[in-house]
Amino acid sequence: MVDTVSAESLLLRAGHGEDEAFSGLYDLMSPRVYGICLRVLRDRAQAEEVAQEVLIEVWRTAARFDERRGTALAWIATIAHRRAVDRVRASQAAGDRERRAAAESADVPADPVADAAAQRIEHRQVRRCLKALTELQHRAVTLAYYGGYTYQQVAALLDAAVPTVKTRIRDGLVKLRDCLEASR
Amino acid sequence: MSDDVHALIGAWVLDAVEDDERRLIEAHVAQCESCSREADELREAVARLSDTLVTEPPPGLRERVLAEARRTPQEPAPARRPRPARRPSRWRHPRLRLAVGAAAFAVVAAFAGVFATWQVMRGPAEDESQMTAVLEAADADVAFQQAEGGGRVTIVYSADLDRAVVVVSDLAAIGDDRSYQVWLVDAAGQVSAGVMDAGDSSATMVVDGVGDTEVIGLTSEPAGGSDQPTTPMIADVALPA
Repeated sequence: MVDTVSAESLLLRAGHGEDEAFSGLYDLMSPRVYGICLRVLRDRAQAEEVAQEVLIEVWRTAARFDERRGTALAWIATIAHRRAVDRVRASQAAGDRERRAAAESADVPADPVADAAAQRIEHRQVRRCLKALTELQHRAVTLAYYGGYTYQQVAALLDAAVPTVKTRIRDGLVKLRDCLEASR
Repeated sequence: MSDDVHALIGAWVLDAVEDDERRLIEAHVAQCESCSREADELREAVARLSDTLVTEPPPGLRERVLAEARRTPQEPAPARRPRPARRPSRWRHPRLRLAVGAAAFAVVAAFAGVFATWQVMRGPAEDESQMTAVLEAADADVAFQQAEGGGRVTIVYSADLDRAVVVVSDLAAIGDDRSYQVWLVDAAGQVSAGVMDAGDSSATMVVDGVGDTEVIGLTSEPAGGSDQPTTPMIADVALPA
């Protein structure tokens, strides 16, 4: 589990140009950044390249982080996901079957970091909260997040109406948020 | 329309929207404090979806990232919570009470000096009637300030209507790769009130939901605007109390 308090202080210090704080932040956050890139891109070489871009963007723009608006984890994970999705959309035709098949599972494909007990608990929380979603909410959210699909593509993949998918994604995330907050 | 955009907040925080939709939502969220809060909360939940993805990166990555970071200059901190006290008492007519109707337009035009070149930034017809309502409101007040680098910002504000008309005129010329952006600043920080067209140095806009705003600020940003100011305020007009 990432110690979010120290992630925030490291990010704030990195924002003041402290190399050492950035090294510490790398150690805390790079497995998550790389994992997000690997999951969305499903290619180790590309994931490594995009992860490097993401981490440099974190360094470059660290002063923009505003701790009143959220955690360092969310700030960094947001940059990573956005960059990975931009890359996958630029490099892959939509509707790739292999990507689709793998997209819906929340499991990591290979070599996870040795599971600390706290981390296993977090995994369980996320999986449990995902299970609290309706099937359509669950599939829409996971295809979008893990697969990098747009909601229109998700609608096509699930053979569902576009406005329905848009609504289910939002309702699903609200439910996910409430569930994760309740299990803190 | 705004309902449609609002419904996309979930898809947006999942990066599951097309680029043009992304721009629409970002413009919407920048002007809607509750939407921005909702997006921040949902983003925390979305980030947790990556809990299960944590994977040891390849061993060479650390050294490459740290070496590149050492060579990479950082962006300066964005201006946060600029203080009205920074440039006090540059008011010439801090509490001018407006006359109504055509006379009010004339007063604003006199301050702004650009009546003939007003550009309405949103739906023209709707904006014009909203603007008239502000100018005619019984509690309307006017404030203005010279902007750093030239030009001025004039504000007509009605607390009753919770609405302000912002007239920006003759600011320092900027290239087509920059936009002037208007910000609502309160104790909690600032939100975008609107982005002027790239390269433009004069514009008029109606700002709804002024709320607790203490200061209306103005910055120069990359064309299309920023989520948060990236340069110091060139004007920070305190709203008439």
